[in-house]
Amino acid sequence: MSDKGADVRRIHWIAALLACGLLAIGLACGGGDDEGSAGGETTTEATTGSGEGVQVGLVSDVGRFNDRSFNQSALEGLQRAEDELGITGRPVESRQTSDYVPNLSSLAREGFDLTIAVGFLLAEATNTAATRFKDSNFAIIDYSVKAPPFKTNPNVQGLTFATNENSYMIGCLAGLMAERQGGRQVISAVGGIKLPTVDIFIAGYRAGAKQCNPQIRTLIGYSQDFVAQDKCKEIALNQIAQGSQVIFQVAGGCGLGALDAAKERNKWGIGVDRDQSNLGPHILTSAVKRVDQSVFLTAEAVVNGEFKGGTDAVFDLENEGVAVGKISDQVPQEFIDRMNEVKDQLISGELTAPATL
Amino acid sequence: MSERQTTPDPPPGEVPSPAARFALFQRAGGIAAPILTAILAFFIGGIVVAVTGHNPITTYREIFNGTGLSWFFEVGSHQVGLPWSDASIWFPWNVNDAESEAAFNLQQTLLSATPLIFTGLAVAFAFRCGLFNIGGQGQYIVGAMVAVWVGSSWAGLASGLHIFLAIALAALAGALWAGIAGFLKAAVGAHEVITTIMLNWIAYWIGNYAFGQGGPLQNKVNESVPVSSDVVQNAKLPILWGDPLLQGLHMGFLLALAALVAYWAILNRTTLGYEVRAVGFSPEAARYSGISVARNYFLAMAIAGLFAGIGGACDILGWQFRLGVIDVQNSQIGFIGIAVALLGRNTAIGVGLSALLFGALLNGTSTRNLDPEVFQPELAGNLTLMIQALVLLFVGADILILWLFSRFRRLRRLPPAAPTTPEAAT
Repeated sequence: MSDKGADVRRIHWIAALLACGLLAIGLACGGGDDEGSAGGETTTEATTGSGEGVQVGLVSDVGRFNDRSFNQSALEGLQRAEDELGITGRPVESRQTSDYVPNLSSLAREGFDLTIAVGFLLAEATNTAATRFKDSNFAIIDYSVKAPPFKTNPNVQGLTFATNENSYMIGCLAGLMAERQGGRQVISAVGGIKLPTVDIFIAGYRAGAKQCNPQIRTLIGYSQDFVAQDKCKEIALNQIAQGSQVIFQVAGGCGLGALDAAKERNKWGIGVDRDQSNLGPHILTSAVKRVDQSVFLTAEAVVNGEFKGGTDAVFDLENEGVAVGKISDQVPQEFIDRMNEVKDQLISGELTAPATL
Repeated sequence: MSERQTTPDPPPGEVPSPAARFALFQRAGGIAAPILTAILAFFIGGIVVAVTGHNPITTYREIFNGTGLSWFFEVGSHQVGLPWSDASIWFPWNVNDAESEAAFNLQQTLLSATPLIFTGLAVAFAFRCGLFNIGGQGQYIVGAMVAVWVGSSWAGLASGLHIFLAIALAALAGALWAGIAGFLKAAVGAHEVITTIMLNWIAYWIGNYAFGQGGPLQNKVNESVPVSSDVVQNAKLPILWGDPLLQGLHMGFLLALAALVAYWAILNRTTLGYEVRAVGFSPEAARYSGISVARNYFLAMAIAGLFAGIGGACDILGWQFRLGVIDVQNSQIGFIGIAVALLGRNTAIGVGLSALLFGALLNGTSTRNLDPEVFQPELAGNLTLMIQALVLLFVGADILILWLFSRFRRLRRLPPAAPTTPEAAT
């Protein structure tokens, strides 16, 4: 081998190694600063808040914070708590399943007063973190602490939603609209994965429609998916072919496909979780799950020292944990009045909305 | 005069032989190109970070700290307990993850790198045979499904036997899954890209069905969630480092390192590996020399699937302990494995380092580590995806780098001198 070849080879090796070494050293040397470890919190301009010094963390599921529903709503609640109560909030986004436990435990380790986990996907991880960090408070959105895997965790509170109540109201409205329209008295619902938190919407919807329009028939379909829009669109189109006049989507991102189908065939669509009236004039209303309200009220409870671990907090029509979104202006006022009548009856207990199918 | 070489050096000023130049190009492209690819990708990522109004240096420093690789730079004086005894010895690094944030981050990085090593090997092994194994995701899922089924059954089995059974059956499942594509290629020439992608979707839907409401593998404890039964305590992999109650680094990491060694050994030290590589270089030439191309296509795919299946099993038995419909739907490990193998140039060391890089990226940009003041959490996830994509984009740029090398050499090479007498060369 010629010496020149050896020289050039050596130089390439040295150059490559030097580059890596310099890069690594440059990065690491800088890491000796005090801001080297994670732990920065967003500072806020506290207004009237008495929540100074209270730290609340929020851990999303793999849907991430820009999912336009669940996680985003929870983030909004945290931001509102920061503005109005003056707490320090820290949103932590999970991008894969292996992030759940480290996210929750790192917040607990930093001594956060409350760590909120968003959704049933984090149930196992929340149980693990709560068992390990017995002195930290946890809350889990849309899951009951009486359900497994939770056993007796005195430091975890479940935040559950009585979405059957606002769905009952919306079902009533849908029934009345179908009656006015005439034709086949059929409405329908498109669910994602068949879970209790999905069925609770549909159960209330079906019962409410029956209450206000005894001839109504409710079709129900499941796409087994919360993401792929084409699946829900397919189901919705089938339901429309069977005469459905109002499609209630309970399928998150997938459900947007169902609302699309309603738009195409000039039928009414009903949104879920957040107010989805901005999707178009075909949106009758939305069954809003005030996740943001639940986060805000729980943070407030921590500030006031009223956090009750080991139980479920129920968010319903009375404490505005569930609501009805913006109603289309094509709906006559008398229907809205009828709906509000039903609302009062639900709150007073005269009527009860079923929670299971 | 003594001769240290069998061939004399060419006289100074003459061009090295084409073989020597090609050997140099191969070696330079072997290690320098992937490193420069990664550096270039990070550089472009830094430009994008700067354009969004943040400081790229502090962002990357935070990311580096988040990966836990900064742990190696935190040298101090600590004690570490020896296994199976109460004694402890002096150790320059702090292994207590409750005290050292970097230790915890490093555990998570290595935890993320483990399945990437396996899926990277799955792609790399098939590639050595000239096959594109895009089915790493399906093979991983199939391995995970079998592992969770075996791991959650037979609670009374001894720990070692249970773990061995789970991993072995998962490996077999992954091998068979990939073997379908290998067999189709061998028997009728069906292109493995098509078949493996379709097999990915089949595995996806089997997972959806099996763990969904009323599915055969759904847990019986909480019938409202579409999740499998839990892996029993005996079947969980031992934790090497970290808190067993939280996600600690499990034995699967050692299995991954062993898999890297096995990959190298199979390819470079066995007849099977020789045949696989021969088919990879030229199927026609291999067939001419009597190697059965069809048999090697099948075996290469099967072994690739075996790696991915073991990866799935290690994840389930190591930290996940259950598998749900949402996990099957969201998992991307198999696809990141393709990037790992491409960046690692299908070599054992390359796949190992590249898996470490990707695992570090996934954890370093995690929002629990990034100070929101430095870089918005919502953007951090997109930064990872962007750097991954840039790495893939520049992987093809090794041609460019080799061209740069050749220009550099052309500048250095002196013009050929007049032929010198042999005496001047001694």
